[in-house]
Amino acid sequence: MSGTFDLGWWGVALAIVAGAIRVSTPYLLVSLGETLTEKSGRVNLGLEGTLVMGAMTGFATSYLTGSPWLGMLAAGVAGAALGLLHAAICNLPRVNDVAVGIALFLFGIGLAFYLGKPFIEPRGPMLPGLPLGSWSDNPAIRSAFDISPMFFIGLALAIALQWGLKNTRWGLVLRMAGESADAARAIGLSVDRIRTLATIAGGFLSGLGGGFLSLYYPGNWNEGLSSGQGLMAIALVIFARWSPMRCFYASLLFGGASAIGPAVQTVGITEGYYLFYAAPYVLTLGLLIYSSSPSRTLAGAPSELSISR
Amino acid sequence: MMDQHTPAPPEVAVVDLCKSFGNLRALDRVSVEFRSGRMHALLGENGAGKSTLVKCLMGYYRADAGQILVRRRQRPILHPRDAHALGLGMVYQHFTLVPQMTVAENFLLGRERLPAVIDWAAEHAALGAFMARMPFQLEPRRLVATLAAGEKQKLEILKQLYLGRRFLVLDEPTSVLTPAEADEVLGQMRRLTEAGQLTVVLITHKFREVMQFAQDVTILRAGKVAAHTDVAGASESGLAAMMFGQSLAPEKSGSSARTAPPDAGPYLELDGLNAIGDRGTRVVVDASLTVRSGEIVGIAGVSGNGQKELVEILAGQRNPQRGAVRIAGRPFGGTRRELERYGVSLLTEEPFANAAVRSMSVMENLAFRQFDRPPLAAGGFIFRRRALRPFAQALIERYGIRAGSPSARLETLSGGNIQRTVLARELSREVRLLIMQNPCFGLDVAAAAEIRRQIVRARNGGAAVLLISEDLDEILELSDRVLVMAGGRITYETERSSADRYEIGRHMTQGLARLSA
Amino acid sequence: MREPLAAPTAASAPHSSSGVTYGWLLGARHLPTDGLESLLLSLAAIVVAALLFGGFLALQGHDPVAVYQTLYLGAFGTHFSLENTLTQAAPLLLTALCTLIPARVGLLVIGGEGAVVLGGLGAVIAGAALGGAPGPIGTVLTLAAGALAGGLWIASAGALKHLRGVNETISTLLLNYIAIALLNHLVSGPIRDFSQTLKAQSWSIPDAFMIGNIPGWSVHWGLVIGLVVCSLLHLLLRHTTLGFSMDILGGNRRAAQMAGLPIGRLILLACFLGGAAAGLAGAIEIVAVHGAASESLVVGLGYTGILVAFLARQNALAVILVALLLGGISASGGLLQRRFDIPHAATTVLQGLIFLCVLASSAFAGRMLPRRSAA
Repeated sequence: MSGTFDLGWWGVALAIVAGAIRVSTPYLLVSLGETLTEKSGRVNLGLEGTLVMGAMTGFATSYLTGSPWLGMLAAGVAGAALGLLHAAICNLPRVNDVAVGIALFLFGIGLAFYLGKPFIEPRGPMLPGLPLGSWSDNPAIRSAFDISPMFFIGLALAIALQWGLKNTRWGLVLRMAGESADAARAIGLSVDRIRTLATIAGGFLSGLGGGFLSLYYPGNWNEGLSSGQGLMAIALVIFARWSPMRCFYASLLFGGASAIGPAVQTVGITEGYYLFYAAPYVLTLGLLIYSSSPSRTLAGAPSELSISR
Repeated sequence: MMDQHTPAPPEVAVVDLCKSFGNLRALDRVSVEFRSGRMHALLGENGAGKSTLVKCLMGYYRADAGQILVRRRQRPILHPRDAHALGLGMVYQHFTLVPQMTVAENFLLGRERLPAVIDWAAEHAALGAFMARMPFQLEPRRLVATLAAGEKQKLEILKQLYLGRRFLVLDEPTSVLTPAEADEVLGQMRRLTEAGQLTVVLITHKFREVMQFAQDVTILRAGKVAAHTDVAGASESGLAAMMFGQSLAPEKSGSSARTAPPDAGPYLELDGLNAIGDRGTRVVVDASLTVRSGEIVGIAGVSGNGQKELVEILAGQRNPQRGAVRIAGRPFGGTRRELERYGVSLLTEEPFANAAVRSMSVMENLAFRQFDRPPLAAGGFIFRRRALRPFAQALIERYGIRAGSPSARLETLSGGNIQRTVLARELSREVRLLIMQNPCFGLDVAAAAEIRRQIVRARNGGAAVLLISEDLDEILELSDRVLVMAGGRITYETERSSADRYEIGRHMTQGLARLSA
Repeated sequence: MREPLAAPTAASAPHSSSGVTYGWLLGARHLPTDGLESLLLSLAAIVVAALLFGGFLALQGHDPVAVYQTLYLGAFGTHFSLENTLTQAAPLLLTALCTLIPARVGLLVIGGEGAVVLGGLGAVIAGAALGGAPGPIGTVLTLAAGALAGGLWIASAGALKHLRGVNETISTLLLNYIAIALLNHLVSGPIRDFSQTLKAQSWSIPDAFMIGNIPGWSVHWGLVIGLVVCSLLHLLLRHTTLGFSMDILGGNRRAAQMAGLPIGRLILLACFLGGAAAGLAGAIEIVAVHGAASESLVVGLGYTGILVAFLARQNALAVILVALLLGGISASGGLLQRRFDIPHAATTVLQGLIFLCVLASSAFAGRMLPRRSAA
């Protein structure tokens, strides 16, 4: 293909596809994490705070140590710590996991902004992408196909989780805790422990999602970094009906929707920029309305989840 | 898998077992011997100690004193795992299955050690071989949620056998089964004991089951062993005498005979009601019935045949798909004004869950029907909280509700007193339509008798009464007309004078084949 | 579910199968003994959070005692700081109601942020439309428009919940972001005042509609509006049949059905009132502070309101005290920044800690009541 600089509407399509892949990655990671958490019977609304905390930690660690991969690891660990906090409080009797999630959302964001003040200006090393578009001369195509390995890690994770939920002991035990805590306790399982581990794992993945934001795309740290991706992942999980592979497809869909705004700007449509921005939220709300029913529980929802009842 | 090493199933004995909860002596030096390879019935009223006894056996409670002997050796059972290791298993009243998982997954989950990765092909093959040896069969790939109650009960039993338990406690296993299913399950269990495969302890309150299937029976009363006998040498009335300490004088016909002929037209009318249940299947199908003022209509039926949903429709907790409810000829929508105008009182099952607010005080709960009328309200808008206490006090005294104070939270009351609270609230107004569902469940004999008296009094006062109960004796004792609900339909109707227990029982099973799973 | 009648244990309460309610979320609400226990628990939670925050500060190398002294100074220490606190607290009085009122009927609504934004937009649009009206009438109508906009916004979530079973926590969360996007869109174009070049903002409302300060104080009348609304609402919730109906619904939906209560209407009303309160707060921000809508409407008033509601254990009178406390913390942020170089986000951290501790404290509720004997 000969490289022309102005691809016109093809450029828009390309931008949407590239954007879909890029923007979907944090959605994918966070939603996979939340799927695990919700499959065990807990809902963690604090993922937004976890995501932001992960972003800050990842960026700071990468800046301070010079290694973006170490940054990613730190981001995951920070997320896991917040997940542990969520689980610890929710394990106490009579505590509502929805409220704890909101509290963590506030706490996580506050903590991230507080500790992250010194890191707003400087630029640290970024995560490298895989140059899958190097066959082309067109810089637009090249940058579109510069895909982060985190995307593939996310995809592999989705496949692994989908398989694991049905075919491993951990998968069975996890689902049991989320479907019938009484039955799980009756056979001697510690439901609290299962949910704690699931929430920690969910936090770790959310932290990774945040790390992706600050270390790859958009690739900086500031207080407007996240625009609700963590929270939207909750809706995404419901939309995907708690299936890891459907989370993957849904993430692509949401990523594409988010990418429409910036993409159409390149062909000169600047009006209504913010409305495109609202597209993912409207889409989510619409899907939620569509898939909810007043009389029946959401199909596929883990029976122990408080928000699906 | 079934243990092939020890030929005989366990023989279990408890010696001088004691267990107290605070001041309550649940078990008082109880000694019972459950002989190997026999079916042993455990009879007793609610609160007699049956479930405490078996929970001690199973390691859920630790007895305060006494011994548990398994195969003639004393064993400390401190945890369910200890019981399981000794081959003791229990099938509970409520299902411990996970509805959204398959039969096969439910089997596997009970195992002590599961491999990290599950080879489903091998597991399914092993399950198939296992079930071929069993008296019941189930399709391993089916979702438990799609099983009927009888199948779920069989699955529970199969699970225990799969896990190698050869001493089985069955806690009221037939409470959700039709007479035919109950006979099948108990019959198979009896056959397994006779074949020397199992020792079975059957907790029940149905004399018929004891007489028909058990070989030994132990009767508990107030935490002590009241009697122990061979079934062969016992009779139903003999058992009753041992259970209640006096001969069972049936409170039949006499006290509850109709004192005045009912009015001509129907007061309550259900016309072709159809409803969809929580699982998306039809649970009430073309149900029609009438209740006239001054008569008691009883609906008999095994639990799970649409009764709960029918009452929910009347209580405004479920919308019918089709059909109508009429009171005094007018359509009934369940609004507050209509409830007041038609004098409707409802006593659903599980009143704590369905009709009360646990975090509110007793006096607030008592006010649900009257809070928007004088003396509790002024102008229909202002709520006079100060009037609550005297209002409640009167009801508390009249109905004998035992509560710390009227402002005590409802959840601090015992189950019986919560029931009394809801009863007081519902019956203390002018009642012209009384709808009751399993009103005496879980209550002691005296309280149950009191409620039955209230029902008869309401009817004699001209109220139309609809009584839905799983206790056939209760229905036969109180009703003027008996209906049967099976598979969501009203399948039978008879006057009390011509009511035949076995005919009714037969109709309780019909229509189930037509109910889609 | 065929076990003999026994009240479910506290641990199983959140998972009751026949009708999930958030009744327990409300904690003890009106009984004297339980009220005392609630109060003590909240106080204990604040103390624990304060200790944890102190530890956090110490790790950063700050002297916790000095910081707390400054916090007090910045919140209540001087006339000026008290005014600051009252100014910060004023909107919280109203945004807390956006969570509190729906909580009474068993809903967990977190849409205060969006309702505030809608309130601001409503006020600005009405203000422009009413151009020539006399001052006081214009003010009242502008405020009413804001309240109406916020009320409808949250009521729509209530309708979705009642008609389609859509979880209200998620829907109001999404509505927050949609509202913010709507604000940005309108303020950057359709209702923009292009003469303002500093930042994107809407056209201003007429000066005559602005409300001033309480005489002798640098605090606007919005504070009084907030206090009045909270008090009226408390009367409504506690001393009317409507409030009692809401209590029943929030306590047990099935019991409410059995009592013949109009469930849908109660849910819609509760959501509308909550949204209207937050919308009113947004309108007051326009009418008393900014005069025009811009992104300065989005400063977390809604989210802090959620915290106020929880800390006040969903009691409308307690909201006043709690709003003062949290307003004080917010107000001292500036002083903390200047004296100790502590970023403003520290106040958010403290608020988050308090929230977490309050939630954890509900685990201890009921320990002071006599225990029931085991069945």
